[in-house]
Amino acid sequence: MPPPLLNVVGLRKDYGHTPVFDDVDLTIDAGETVGLSGKSGSGKSTLGRCILRLEEPTAGEVYYNGADLLKMGKKDLNLVRPDLQMIFQHPETSFNPRMAVGFGIAEPLSYRTGTRPEEVLNGLADLLRRVGLRRDQLDRFPHQLSGGELQRAMLARVFSLQPKLVIADEPTSMLDVSVQAQVLGLMKTLQEETGVSYLLISHDLEVLGAVCDRVAYMRNGTVEKADAG
Amino acid sequence: MSLLEVSGLNVTFPTQEGNVRASSDVSFSLDEGEVLGLIGESGSGKSVIGLSILRLLPAYAEVSGRILFRGIDLAVIPEKDLARIRGREIALLPQNPVLSLNPLMQNGRQLAEVYEQTGDDRVVARKKTLDLLQAFSFHDPAGVYTLYPHQLSGGMRQRLTAGIALSYHPSLLIADEPTRGLDRDVREKTIDLFRKIEDEFGTAILLITHDLDLAERLCSRIVVMYAGEIVEIGPAGEVFEDPAHPYTQGLLRARPRNGLVPLPGMSPGLSALPPGCRFAGRCGRADVSCTTTHPTVSGCGPGRCARCRHLF
Amino acid sequence: MNESRMEAGKTVPVRFGSFPHTWCGQSARAMLSHRTVFIPLVLLGLIACCAVCAPLIAPDDPGAIDLKHVVSLPSSKHLLGTDYLGRDVLSRLVYGARTSLFIALATIVISCVAGIVIGCVAGYQGGMIDLVLSRGIDIFIAFPGIIFALVLLGFMGPGVFNLILALSLTQWAGYARLIRGEVLSAKNENYVLSARTVGLSDRIITFRHILPNVVAPVLILATIDIGHVILSTATLSFFGLGVPADVPEWGSMINTGKTFMRTAPLLTVIPGLVITAVVVLFNVLGEGLRDVLDPHDGMEAFD
Repeated sequence: MPPPLLNVVGLRKDYGHTPVFDDVDLTIDAGETVGLSGKSGSGKSTLGRCILRLEEPTAGEVYYNGADLLKMGKKDLNLVRPDLQMIFQHPETSFNPRMAVGFGIAEPLSYRTGTRPEEVLNGLADLLRRVGLRRDQLDRFPHQLSGGELQRAMLARVFSLQPKLVIADEPTSMLDVSVQAQVLGLMKTLQEETGVSYLLISHDLEVLGAVCDRVAYMRNGTVEKADAG
Repeated sequence: MSLLEVSGLNVTFPTQEGNVRASSDVSFSLDEGEVLGLIGESGSGKSVIGLSILRLLPAYAEVSGRILFRGIDLAVIPEKDLARIRGREIALLPQNPVLSLNPLMQNGRQLAEVYEQTGDDRVVARKKTLDLLQAFSFHDPAGVYTLYPHQLSGGMRQRLTAGIALSYHPSLLIADEPTRGLDRDVREKTIDLFRKIEDEFGTAILLITHDLDLAERLCSRIVVMYAGEIVEIGPAGEVFEDPAHPYTQGLLRARPRNGLVPLPGMSPGLSALPPGCRFAGRCGRADVSCTTTHPTVSGCGPGRCARCRHLF
Repeated sequence: MNESRMEAGKTVPVRFGSFPHTWCGQSARAMLSHRTVFIPLVLLGLIACCAVCAPLIAPDDPGAIDLKHVVSLPSSKHLLGTDYLGRDVLSRLVYGARTSLFIALATIVISCVAGIVIGCVAGYQGGMIDLVLSRGIDIFIAFPGIIFALVLLGFMGPGVFNLILALSLTQWAGYARLIRGEVLSAKNENYVLSARTVGLSDRIITFRHILPNVVAPVLILATIDIGHVILSTATLSFFGLGVPADVPEWGSMINTGKTFMRTAPLLTVIPGLVITAVVVLFNVLGEGLRDVLDPHDGMEAFD
């Protein structure tokens, strides 16, 4: 059996002296969708951020491809960053409000390759078609697009980096049912094409049951189990 | 006579990019004590309807049509008279309980203030507040009175805002997306709260939501909106069991329990509506005449109607 | 969902022009179409023109002393009268615009830039750097501004550049503290977190994603502070630590006029009105900028 893509061992995060969670173990295999459920305030969003080091965990290890992310320096971390991406609950705040959405989509790749954003988008034409964004929508500012459109734009931004793991924190809880189905369906298609793994954080067990291979529950400050979904 | 009767409501926002027709020829009615669900996706114009009932739309919105509340047309009465109806007869339950409570004011004071506004003295206002808190299943009203909003749980805050909205025992409560972004526990509590409002206060509720489960569990009748117009009206059980309009059918198929099947395509923009059926571009049953003739709402069973040519 | 469904009659993007990505959310043209921005800008521009073209506009030499006509009322020769040394008030006002506006603008620009840079670094870096910088900010804020400037000028000696330096040192910390707070909250915005996950450099995150979104309150504060600076200059000049007494400056005009408040109130009232007008114009500009800098142009999606 190949080693898991991501292996979280004994992760702990304190705010001040209060532990948010402790002793969290979690593995995610390549191409797998793992659900993470729990009440609001159970620390599931914080766990997602700690894995990506958007917040610094207090203790524990997070192995990605055998290397501990928490021990990496800034340089090494920036090398693996593109592999590990995140999608947020509030799509309307995921893009810089002062920049056209198209620029936001092109920015990561443009930064890495030094190409102009317009060129990058030409190269991403296929991905943009896949997520269903029109040219005129790319010139708009975030507040001019709907939540569903922004979430699809976010998928385009994230997938332009060809990530191996995407942590999606309540990606559809602010969206309508029909749009939710669209976004989740799109995530599924992208997974089939790229073999990406998802950690899907959601309070909606129905959604998790419908799309996840396994579901882990966060309760009493730790992850309890990961069942077959 | 119905409590609320909206007929031929048109709302247009003139913008630089043309007229945005947020609501086109919307007509429905709501009886005393009834819970009516207004469902549809964002951009379908459902929130605009709630706001136009209370005349809270921005001034540049062009509104036409009649909004009869107990026979009084809210669209034309003077602002002074409307102010008397707003809040007392018709209350709005805000979407975000956290943002609508004053974080620096004791919970009880926020409620008592409403009573004091109408001339009750502090003692009477306090007494009324405690009664209301009791009615909203706060076990320790006196204790909750002196706490501050951040010391309450999400569900408690929601009950508190509902308490403030219902402090005058309005006959109509407009709730706009009360469950958006809430987690499961708080959502369950919201549902209990609405049942309670319905049972104990007898308040009619206009529930504007995209949360189909919420609508299914609470509402007696459902109005389905698509691209600014009503596409289907019917008793909740029947609409969810056997949806008539292809859009409603598609919407229900998109629920996680029905397999998360997305509707193909996108809604038409409200500033560039197609001449024919607005759903035709995404509808499996659409034919040529669907794209040219705009369908009307017609009855399709007792108490049911839908806007689709293929049903008749 | 399959591809054909997603396409559903939509055009496929082919080529892209360049994108609107702006610091103010709107183009310069849109900014100028706001009345609250356009009108104060034009009027302030006029005042600035007066300052620049002072020799052409001023009817008289602002330093020409005429002891025969001291503290005279407005006349055809001196449209706004003369001061205690018989100097033409109108000419001194016009020339005074040079000194007063230059000192005010220079002070504000210097303290804004310093405050923004220090506040950004403190807020974004956090940790020890923040701790040290924040204490520094606190110390500067703790000094009462005008006394601090007095002490500084006492050491450095009077003069326009020293005055600007001293005033900047008393002003910057306010901006730094404001910006630091804004940066702290912007740091947790999703678009900043997203910028970090895609691995953008700190410099790009700070200057492209955080700063444009937090700079608006500073600009508004700055327009309000301009008035304060003009008045502070006046006070310092009064103590002989600002500009030399013979250099026309609005604040010192008020100060010297005060003595004649009963007999010739115009000597105080006229420069006072000019300062008030400038302050009001900058405040209106600040209000206007606040509206314009908001990226939401009121065209939200209608739900």
